[in-house]
Amino acid sequence: MLRIALRAHRTGFLVTALLSSVTMFVEAAGFAAAAGQTPAQRAVFGQEMEALAPQVAYLIPLPIHPETLGGYVQWRGFGFVYIITSFWALMAATGAIRNEEERGLIEQWMASTVGRLRLVAARCAAFTVAAAGVVFLTALGAFAGAAAASGSLDMGGVLEVSLALLGVTVASFGVGLLAAQLIATRRGASALGGVVLLALFFLDSLSRVKSSLESWSRISPFHLYNRTTAVAPGGRFDLKATVALFVAAAILAVLSTYAFSVRDVGASLFRRRHRSAAAVRTPSGNPLLRLPVLSALYEQRWILVSWAIGTMLLAAFILSLARSTADLLRSNPTFQAYLQAGFGSDPNLVLLALFWFGFAAFIVAAYAISQVARWAADDAEGRLEMTIAQPVSRSRVVLERSLTLLAASTVIAGLGSLVVAAGAPAQDIHPDSGRLLLATVLLVPVALAFGGLGATIIARWPRLAVPVLSLVAVAGYLIQQVGPLFKWPSWALDLSVFTLYGTPLTTGVFWTGLWAMVAVTVLGFGIGLVAMRYRDVAS
Amino acid sequence: MKAALRTEGLSKDYGQGRGLFDLDLEVAAGEVFGYLGPNGAGKTTTIRLLMDMIRPTRGRAEVFGVDCQARSVEVKRLVGYLPGELPQFGGLRGREVVSYVAGLRGGVDSRRIKTLAERLDLDLGRRFREYSRGNKQKLGLVLALMHDPRLLILDEPTSGLDPLNQQEFHRMVDEARDRGATVFLSSHVLSEVEQICQRVAIIREGHLVQIAKLDELHHIRYHHVEVDFAGNVPLDAVRAAAGVEQVSVQGQRLTCAVRGSFRPLLAALERAEVLNMVSHEPTLEEIFLAYYRDEPAEVLSEAAEAS
Repeated sequence: MLRIALRAHRTGFLVTALLSSVTMFVEAAGFAAAAGQTPAQRAVFGQEMEALAPQVAYLIPLPIHPETLGGYVQWRGFGFVYIITSFWALMAATGAIRNEEERGLIEQWMASTVGRLRLVAARCAAFTVAAAGVVFLTALGAFAGAAAASGSLDMGGVLEVSLALLGVTVASFGVGLLAAQLIATRRGASALGGVVLLALFFLDSLSRVKSSLESWSRISPFHLYNRTTAVAPGGRFDLKATVALFVAAAILAVLSTYAFSVRDVGASLFRRRHRSAAAVRTPSGNPLLRLPVLSALYEQRWILVSWAIGTMLLAAFILSLARSTADLLRSNPTFQAYLQAGFGSDPNLVLLALFWFGFAAFIVAAYAISQVARWAADDAEGRLEMTIAQPVSRSRVVLERSLTLLAASTVIAGLGSLVVAAGAPAQDIHPDSGRLLLATVLLVPVALAFGGLGATIIARWPRLAVPVLSLVAVAGYLIQQVGPLFKWPSWALDLSVFTLYGTPLTTGVFWTGLWAMVAVTVLGFGIGLVAMRYRDVAS
Repeated sequence: MKAALRTEGLSKDYGQGRGLFDLDLEVAAGEVFGYLGPNGAGKTTTIRLLMDMIRPTRGRAEVFGVDCQARSVEVKRLVGYLPGELPQFGGLRGREVVSYVAGLRGGVDSRRIKTLAERLDLDLGRRFREYSRGNKQKLGLVLALMHDPRLLILDEPTSGLDPLNQQEFHRMVDEARDRGATVFLSSHVLSEVEQICQRVAIIREGHLVQIAKLDELHHIRYHHVEVDFAGNVPLDAVRAAAGVEQVSVQGQRLTCAVRGSFRPLLAALERAEVLNMVSHEPTLEEIFLAYYRDEPAEVLSEAAEAS
């Protein structure tokens, strides 16, 4: 059972280990580029960061000696990487229970004499092993990055923070595990667990600026984690807080096991009684279900709403950091690299162009990838078979997918920009409305280009589509964001797929990039269409 | 009169002997046609080829004279299809699924949907993921039947249905046939095929073994015989008789299977004192099992062609 459970965490382990170790490596290796080479430069950098940090303390912990490699890695690396591992823990926990219940695997395990206690214990043990592996690789990433920056980190400090990182990761797993007992679907359990973890995250972060929340923040695993700052010079290892994380994880696991042992398989712990309503025999009168494209949008309406709300919140968040970050751009010679990279001369607009629209391009690309995953699932779960069993041509299926993606990405991009347009004046940023519209409209070809690539890949290798596209998107985003900081050559920056989007807010349309995206879209969906016409479905 | 369904040398080769090979089949309009075979025989492959889900390695198929590959959209206007495995519609309610699929067809009479849901006792107000296996199958049947198609292609249609709903389904098939519709259904439930089909094709390992009317199958195959004796059982004589197989003795009772004529068995019993003799007409299940006992499918296929 343990081996099966370990196998279930394989993909999550690989992706999280890659993301967190690369993040740590980049942060550590980038220290010299960010802080400067000489002690004087670093001292100035440290003063700037300490001045800046209180303005964003409601989100990011205060730095300790950011002018040192240890302090910088603690602040920028370990102060961020726990979000990645906690997110993975949540998804792994809900997947370990609900996903397997939805697929009938839990029933299968239990029918083959595996007890409920053993099942949950195996899942917890397997995740702890996988999480320890991720934390180990994350620490390795930090050491490798430090070596690349010709510096060194305190081994004991890294070990202590790694232990706390493992603690917060397994505690997040516990939250997810318990949420999975309360909601009967994986999506619902992930949403509930996500809301709880988000609330605990904000409880910790807001407690840094509101002293009234300080006593409450002790229940947040993120607060307990952030109490350990052992990598920074003068930092500390809070043993009690770290032990509390593991104790919390154990309590949550025990509660989850109890809930799992008393509830029905496939049901939530608290089951709602079905009202004895009369059976419905007539089809739905909803006209949206009968119309092409709109029916697909209606079917995924809640997912689309989630993406739209998430995008709007992120837009508001990035906008809230705008003024302080723009000040940083102005004052720090290192960050002047963004201005010198040709993104524009007005730091406020560069900030919007690069950080918000750069991120928005990543968001619409991520949405397109989620749609590609959906297309692959349509085939695997028989929905495509049912669709083309009706008098519907295969070409129409591909065309409808592309139009659905176009409509949905327009909505997501539009709502994000609406928040930016509404909130920018409050931050003393006044983008030209025409340019803002242009930058928003040009996000749609980014989504379509990813969709086109996906349509091509799923025709032949449906299981590879999402990993390949994710790699392209994440690598492209990282290249675009950290490349100028490290003064990478232009050919290296051009490797980012998001270079094709350009910075339309500040520099107008990047025509070569636009035509390239249009070509990828037409070619991708074209290949997808031809492949769809000739390939076997449901074979 | 045009055949409702015709295949010529229809093949799908998955390699390593898997797939469907050289299927020649013709189903008349208004016929209820059973397509029998064990798991993995090629029933679903045939159906997916007819529905243009998968493309043939060679050969062709047509429905009412319309090519299944070249003009598949036209074919699907004529066909109601029930797949072997219902797709996952997740959180959509049954009524939304019906509306969505009806929309793909350009609209369907909602009175017909209501009638079908009532007859199958299906609550369309519940979410798809809450449906039991049987209810999912009922929903599939509603989707296949709701537009009164000229041809029904049904892959194991009663799988998961309780006996009452199976009977209701049989009545629906009868009514469809009375309206002039053609039904092509695959099954490995032989009693069901016996009950509702007029002709049957038997497929094994991707090869068509036999096409016959039900009564032809009954007569050309073997009988189970039980004989009670007053004295000695003439075991050697019976075993030596031509066409007599599976001979066994328990006390004074001999049981055997007889292929073809009874004459050699009666000759073997001529000198024995027979108290009682009973012959059972074989069920389709027994015929089916007899086909699949030892002989490779290709041999059976050739033998069927020769006969």
